[in-house]
Amino acid sequence: MDLGSRALAVQQQEMEISGQNVSNVSNTSYAEEQLNIQESTPLETPIGEEGTGVQATSITEVRDALLDNQIQAEGSVTSSLTAQQTNLQNAEAYLDEQISSTSSSTTPDSANGLAADLSNLFGSFESLSTDPSDLSLRQTAVQSAQEIATQFNQVSSQLSGVRNDINTSIQNDVTGANQDLATIASLNQQIVAAQASGGTANSLVDQREATLEDLAGKVNISTSAQSNGAVDVSIGGVTMISGITNSDSLKTYDAGNGQLLIQAQNAGTPLSLSGGSIEGEITARDGALASLQSGVNTLATQLITNVNSIYFTGYDLNGNTGQDLFTGTGASDIGVNSAVVSDPTQFQASGTAGAAGDNTTVLALAQLANQNISGLNNQTFSENYAQTVSDLGNSISTVNDQLNSSHAVSQMLTSQRASESGVSIDTEMTNLIQYQKAYEAAAELITTLNQMMQTVVTMKSS
Amino acid sequence: MNVTTTSFSTNFLANISQLEARQSTLQNEATTGLKVQEPEDDPAVMNQVLNLQTEASADTQYQSNITQLTDSATTASDALNSLQTIVEDASEIATEAGGVDSSTQLSTYATQVGQLIQEAVQLGNTKDANGNYIFGGTNTGNPPFTAATDASGNVTSVTYNGNTSVAKSEIAPGLTVSAQSVGENNTGAGASGVFADSRTGADIFNDLISLQQNLTSGNTSAISTTNTPALSKDEDNVVTQISANGVLQSTLEAAGTTTTQQTTALDTQMSNDTNADLAQTLTLLDQTQTAYQATLQSGVMVASLSLLDFLQ
Repeated sequence: MDLGSRALAVQQQEMEISGQNVSNVSNTSYAEEQLNIQESTPLETPIGEEGTGVQATSITEVRDALLDNQIQAEGSVTSSLTAQQTNLQNAEAYLDEQISSTSSSTTPDSANGLAADLSNLFGSFESLSTDPSDLSLRQTAVQSAQEIATQFNQVSSQLSGVRNDINTSIQNDVTGANQDLATIASLNQQIVAAQASGGTANSLVDQREATLEDLAGKVNISTSAQSNGAVDVSIGGVTMISGITNSDSLKTYDAGNGQLLIQAQNAGTPLSLSGGSIEGEITARDGALASLQSGVNTLATQLITNVNSIYFTGYDLNGNTGQDLFTGTGASDIGVNSAVVSDPTQFQASGTAGAAGDNTTVLALAQLANQNISGLNNQTFSENYAQTVSDLGNSISTVNDQLNSSHAVSQMLTSQRASESGVSIDTEMTNLIQYQKAYEAAAELITTLNQMMQTVVTMKSS
Repeated sequence: MNVTTTSFSTNFLANISQLEARQSTLQNEATTGLKVQEPEDDPAVMNQVLNLQTEASADTQYQSNITQLTDSATTASDALNSLQTIVEDASEIATEAGGVDSSTQLSTYATQVGQLIQEAVQLGNTKDANGNYIFGGTNTGNPPFTAATDASGNVTSVTYNGNTSVAKSEIAPGLTVSAQSVGENNTGAGASGVFADSRTGADIFNDLISLQQNLTSGNTSAISTTNTPALSKDEDNVVTQISANGVLQSTLEAAGTTTTQQTTALDTQMSNDTNADLAQTLTLLDQTQTAYQATLQSGVMVASLSLLDFLQ
């Protein structure tokens, strides 16, 4: 009887585990659970050992720690690259240098960005050089100068906006990472407690793995599993979780000019990260975005100084000289001299006082377009800007390629884990049938024994 | 490899999203006809296209400069031809006057020459379509010539108010020409003067005034000895100017043709760099769509099947 009831209990437990597995079939952080069973202790009889049936020993989950670690590591790489891609693509959009085909012709055209503004500026100088006293041409030249100044201001403030957004993301990610660390420490505590009392804590382990992967997405971590079930976590060489203690956390600090970097809150050491969205954000900000910002700014500075140094010596229609065309010193504050904006006769196009038809100054300005500027690596303004744009393109394209391969690796690892730890409904169903039949058989055993007992009892009373 | 329900769905979704991404890229290429749109698509091509666009836009500007200069050159050419006629007429009068004794006839000639002087002053103050004086050098805002007259309305002297420099404009990278002309240049250097130039000895106004005075005073010998040879120098100078103007116009025309050809070449180059090969794109799109369909169909077939369907 006892043997039969133990068999019933074990089969029921098996079915419950199958039920648990099937219920979690779509839970990606779930690992398939197994009931480990063995023969119960046999009875020694004079004629030999007699089996006493089956007993359940433990419930374990199918988890490969190595695979989990690899998934965490690759998750850091993917998040880092995704963060770079997103932020750099924002910057790319703000540059507004897309090629689009107009309906009228098949010729590609990009008419919105600084490239077009540069062409327009020098074009308007060329136009004015053919008729330096013409007021409408003067007006056009001043307008082109205003347009490029405004465009510089806009691009500059938009790129600063991208930089600020990145800093906000870093702050948010640090907050999120610290929450994850606290969660992991508390899960560690529960797991250790459960295992100390001889139990298993599979669902807590699943939760902890999901949290570890979330954390790895923000910052690259290294973990080491302890024998008591806890997982130690360190970031950039600094221990963050040791056993059940959340010993340290992340903190941002300003390395100067709003350059937010990460340090350990308690240890105080700056952390050099190698993956995760925080690292991706820092890399994008201090790498491609910073060189884009400085490229645009240098272009503006060189435009201001080179144009002004020629323009300064020119004469306006009233014979006056010695004014600047551009004000400001860089992309963020470049502007056009307000006097010439309100009165285009003050545009200093002539090289000689009193000669309205003289175009020496404006011709020299127009010819700046084809001149190699020493402050721009001996490139022309347009060449230098094209280089800046394609440098950004290169950075994004590299990130895109890396992200593609990182996605492929992640995909491969995830599918490997799914194959190992995932639940197969078909397998569970087959098992269920097996358990059901075993349960029926065990029940049948008890019924038979019961009938035998009945027979014996009836025999005695009759 | 053990295929679990989760691994089936993760792989299936990954395949679908990959195919969707590829499909969307190809679809975008097919609709825009461009294989490069953002700098990240092909940084090298983007760099090249930006430089080509700068060149193309400069070419458009050169083309417009050429049109503008051609207009001015045509105005100058008309004025120079009229001036040639004036000088020829004056020469003819000078030649004819040599054989005339009648003072009435001479005074008629003098009146005619007076008119020619007025016309010449008017020509000297010709403006182009933009209202700029074309014979004042770079001093284009003021009339280059002012005439002083005596009591009877005869021009006694003509003063040049312009200067001796001309403004040059670019018609190709580094190639500058000018459509402005200098009215008088007696400095012996720089652009040659149309009405007077110390290097060729031309001095149209003074020669005409002297002719008129000699006609009025009946000094026919001075006319043939002084005025006729002087006018011939004036005529030579004008002819030189006309041919220089012709050279300018043909230079402009040649530059215009070159620029147009270059613009076409640049357009072709940009198109080659950025345009998608539609045949190839559409073929790839077709293939991707087939693969997408196959994935969906097989996925649905496999996913809808399970052991559960066969359990009673």
